[in-house]
Formats: sequence, structure tokens, C-alpha cells
Amino acid sequence: MKVTVKSWHAIAQWRWDTGQSGDDAEGEEDVCGICRVPYEACCPSCKMPGDDCPLMWGECTHVFHMHCIIKWLGTQASKQQCPMDRRPWVTASQRKGASNNNNANPNANPNGAVPNANA
Amino acid sequence: MNVILKLASLGIKLLKANDFETWVLSLEVMGESLYKDEVFALQFRFEPQYPISSPEVVFVNDEVYRVPIHPHVYSNGHICASILGNEWSPVLSVTAVCITLQSMLASCTEKERPPDNDRYVRSAPKSPKNTRFHYDGELLPTV
Repeated sequence: MKVTVKSWHAIAQWRWDTGQSGDDAEGEEDVCGICRVPYEACCPSCKMPGDDCPLMWGECTHVFHMHCIIKWLGTQASKQQCPMDRRPWVTASQRKGASNNNNANPNANPNGAVPNANA
Repeated sequence: MNVILKLASLGIKLLKANDFETWVLSLEVMGESLYKDEVFALQFRFEPQYPISSPEVVFVNDEVYRVPIHPHVYSNGHICASILGNEWSPVLSVTAVCITLQSMLASCTEKERPPDNDRYVRSAPKSPKNTRFHYDGELLPTV
């Protein structure tokens, strides 16, 4: 069966709550420091953005795609350090400065997304 | 595009980037330095694991470009710089590497080869990534 989409009606959008405004002055999106792909997109190993490719925060407040930081920490070269500040990486149990309690614990449940329903 | 223009003003130009395996950039040290008016070329080679694994970075030695004479640069183009070895971080961009090497050249006080240059070059592996450099300021690579 072939389905043709005649029209669609968006009712909500969401983005990761990175605590940053999103687009910077030059209109460039915030990107993962490791793969340079926007947080809103997925890491290079995934095909679809969303809960299957979440973000992961360190206690140092640095944030990466979870798959990117895990790949790095899995190497000996990483010395288990944050790629940004070389401090020992400690995954944040709750993102610092979280504005509400909807921010999931990235350790327990990779649902770091805060639905941001702009209908 | 903005990045490329900004880099040109810093003395860094992209010479070749036809694929994601090998890039070549030219590098000159702006302002007063021992390398005034010299232009060098840096070759980056990326493995599929990049940026989790560091790029292989060497100074080009060909008909056009010469390897800079510097206490941390061997005559075969291999560079002893910790950020390319045990202090690599996957957030380091090609630009960041270029700027670091530029500043390494800019801060040079005497143009000379590493003291063990001849011994190292004779037995050096093809890729400097296979050299275990010591980065404690002393130049004691163990091949």
C-alpha cells in the first residue's frame, strides 16, 4: 500500500534542555564537542534523534551525546577524564541548575528530554 | 565559511580536503618569530575512529614545503607534542591543533633539531602515532 501525505499539522516540538539558549549569535546550533553534530540531532552512530540517542551530563556540567562520551570513556586514552576539562568524569545524577524535576537521571533512564510543547 | 576566513587571518589555510582521510593545511606564524616569512604544511590523517582516536599529524616535506627546524620537530616531519599523543582529547578540532602547533613554533627561542634527531629518524615508525614520545620537556622518544 502506498501512502501519500497530503498535509500535516504539527502540534508540539521538543529539544534537549542543555541550559543554553540554543542557537548562538551566529545562528549556529549548539553541537556536541566530540562529534560536532548538533545536540538536537543524533550522534554519528545513530540514525534518528530522540530518546535512543540521549545526551549525558558530567558533574563538571559538560554535555555530550551519550554514545560519544561513552565511546571516549571506553578508551584507555581517555584516562576517564572529561574531554573538555580533563577532570575525572562523573556522570551527573541530575543536571545542575535544572529548572524543574522533569529532568531525568541520565544514569537510570536515558530520557533527558524535556518536552517543550509549543503548540 | 566564516571559519575559513577567520583562519586565513591567523595564517592557517586549507590546502587539501578532498576526503575524510587526509587533509593538508598550510601554516605560518604571524607576527615576530624565528619563522617569520616561512610557510609550512601540515598533513592530517584521520582513522575511522577519529575523533575518539587522535589524528596523525606531520609536517610535510616535499618540493614546496620544508619541515620547520624546531626542538620538538624531527626532520622527517614527526612532531613531539603531547596533545597529539597521550593528551589527545576528542574535542580538539583541526583548528585547535593548528593553533597549538603555531604557538609551539611562535614560542621557539632557538632553531634547532631535537638532540636525538638522527637516531630517531633512522628507526622511526612510518606514523608518529606509533612512537611513544616522552612529553616531560625532555626529548626522549622510545621507538
